[in-house]
Amino acid sequence: MTAADLVIVLLGVVAVGAGVLVVATRQLVHAALWLVVSFGALAGSYLVLTAEFVAWVQVLIYVGAVVVLLLFGIMLTRAPIGRSEDLDSGNRIVALVVAVATAGVLVTTLVRGFRSAYVPIKDRVGSGSSHTLGGSLFQTWVLPFEALSVLLLAALIGAIVLSRTDIGGAGPEPEEEEPEPRRRPAAPRGTVARRLGTARRRATPDDEDTIVLSRVDEEI
Amino acid sequence: MTPVYMAAGDIPTPHIEYGRLAPVLIVLGAACVGVLVEALAPRAQRYGLQVLVSVVGLVAAFAWTIALGIGDQPHHVAAMGAVGVDGPTLFIQGTILVLALMSMLLIAERRHEDSPFTAQASTVPGSPEERESLVAGLVQTEIYPLVLFAVGGMLIFPAANDLLTMFVALEVMSLPLYLLCGLARRRRLLSQEAAVKYFLLGAFSSAFFLYGTAMLYGFAGSVRLSEIAAAISKQGGDEPLLLAGVALLSVGLLFKMGAAPFQAWKPDVYQGAPTALTALMASCTLVAAVGGVLRVFYVGLETLRWDWRPMMWAVAILTMLVGAIVAITQTDVKRMLAYSSIAHGGFLLTGVIATNKAGLSSTLFYLAAYGFTTVGAFAVITMVRDAGGEAGHLSRWAGLGKRQPLVAGTFAFFLLAFAGIPLTSGFTGKFAVFQAAMAGGAMPLVIVGVVSSAIAAFFYVRVIVLMFFSEPLADGPTVSFSPATATAVAVGAFVTLVLGVIPAPALHLAQSAANQLFVR
Repeated sequence: MTAADLVIVLLGVVAVGAGVLVVATRQLVHAALWLVVSFGALAGSYLVLTAEFVAWVQVLIYVGAVVVLLLFGIMLTRAPIGRSEDLDSGNRIVALVVAVATAGVLVTTLVRGFRSAYVPIKDRVGSGSSHTLGGSLFQTWVLPFEALSVLLLAALIGAIVLSRTDIGGAGPEPEEEEPEPRRRPAAPRGTVARRLGTARRRATPDDEDTIVLSRVDEEI
Repeated sequence: MTPVYMAAGDIPTPHIEYGRLAPVLIVLGAACVGVLVEALAPRAQRYGLQVLVSVVGLVAAFAWTIALGIGDQPHHVAAMGAVGVDGPTLFIQGTILVLALMSMLLIAERRHEDSPFTAQASTVPGSPEERESLVAGLVQTEIYPLVLFAVGGMLIFPAANDLLTMFVALEVMSLPLYLLCGLARRRRLLSQEAAVKYFLLGAFSSAFFLYGTAMLYGFAGSVRLSEIAAAISKQGGDEPLLLAGVALLSVGLLFKMGAAPFQAWKPDVYQGAPTALTALMASCTLVAAVGGVLRVFYVGLETLRWDWRPMMWAVAILTMLVGAIVAITQTDVKRMLAYSSIAHGGFLLTGVIATNKAGLSSTLFYLAAYGFTTVGAFAVITMVRDAGGEAGHLSRWAGLGKRQPLVAGTFAFFLLAFAGIPLTSGFTGKFAVFQAAMAGGAMPLVIVGVVSSAIAAFFYVRVIVLMFFSEPLADGPTVSFSPATATAVAVGAFVTLVLGVIPAPALHLAQSAANQLFVR
């Protein structure tokens, strides 16, 4: 057993242990932070396997972006930050059985599949570099890569459709943009609605403030 | 970024056959133009421009597909081996494009109300903002580029020559659909529930697909279907990695088809989604998913036939029986058609199991025939309306035949086609599929297929009896005609009739498409 083997086993133990703590902890923020440890250990294993570019992508995307997004999500939805007892689901025994069974099947398959396979790491140096990866990404895998950009665009449009409330034309902006008379026959209805909308627009910030204040009161 | 930039000179330019990829590129390009229209065009013109861009894009892509099929014998691998352009793929892509065009007629429909989709997706159902957005006559025109993105994904999915491209295409096709499911104008909570269910289950099944891909990569050292096939014939098929990989990959593929143990999402999603979109999912998504199944099992796992056939036998039998039996208890028209779609998935799998040329060509024919019938049937559902939107409950359809004989008669015709009565395309399709399965030695499967067709015929006929032989309701639903929907119904009925009465040209087309099987 070489030093690399030892390090990768230790990193694996850390990753699995942190993963268990993610689901076992009773504090939402701690779960997100344990996720950082788990992803970090995984990045370490990539590094040991000489895939340094993948390792840094793992750190940047998963540790950097995904977990930060999770923390922002917790913060912005004002989810309870301290210890909360209702994080445990009533189905946790069933979930445990399913999880252990799935892990058992997958681990058995992998162990039986790769029992005799052994690749000395020294032969693999350079195979995970950004140069090699970029070469295959922009040559062999150029079509899936471009399709992924389409996927991201579709997701972006979808997120806008679901979340933006100010694109409906309810605000005063269209009047500034279109000084010419409305082309649609439904103009009178639209105008009334826009007036309604303007009234609502003016009212909203106050409402939001009130809500925030009442929340603050509750917390105090 | 600097080292990457400096090293970029070493990478040779990939060779992309733009001509052969053009149908996909046109559809995705039209989607991007749609996004630009959304950003730049004034609000009043967006609807017209979006419909124009979508229809022109789909028609152009279809024309290009036909040109590819007529030109030299299509049997190529394109885009550095990522995509296969061959007879079956072009047939499937052409079918998807025509069916998408028909569904687009329903999606763009504005006669009944402003749109079948919600006025503003971000408003909370039942809130004053929602009412305002309805009064203001807003329309969510972003749906058109989203539909085009989904159609683009569906075009890549059955063409993908490696599992990685297939996975990306799966996501491109699914993500817009998850979202569009939640945008119904009426009964919005039901629609949003459907979207969340579809999203969670779909994400789960994508994970299965990806894990299966990883295991097959571990087995073969490549995700390319042809190299997986070569590795199977070289190393033999009893490796645990291979078998586990095939099992997990099949879960992902069969989920998209809605085959039996993974069918739970279908009724809920078909019921909750806007009916125009249900038509798109029931036709185009099913065609794309079966196309993907065909390619994986005919190219990648062909040499493993004797191992996956028992599994697929079980899945096909279960799918046919579950679809036919559970449908009997349904009281909602859309749910009933969802279970009917599950049962038809089972019949399609019968053709897949045959693993011969006849199996491939009959499955292709069945896909086209079923797609046209199902879009027509869902188009009829959008026409039969109550004060609160579509008349979903079956009891509302009672006596429709006495008040609206033409509409009820057309719907009855579609139902008979689903049941597989002679002189409809359903009969020809079932006959072809069962014949191929018999030639492939799957006699018990054919018997189960015939029995479940008979069970299914029971509930189709029950609806027909309800429509024609019971007294019309005093406050029964009205039928609203409009050119676009009527066109979709007419095209669906016409194709169903033609493929039933003179099926030879279409069967011949499917046979010549399947003649060379898939490219490797």
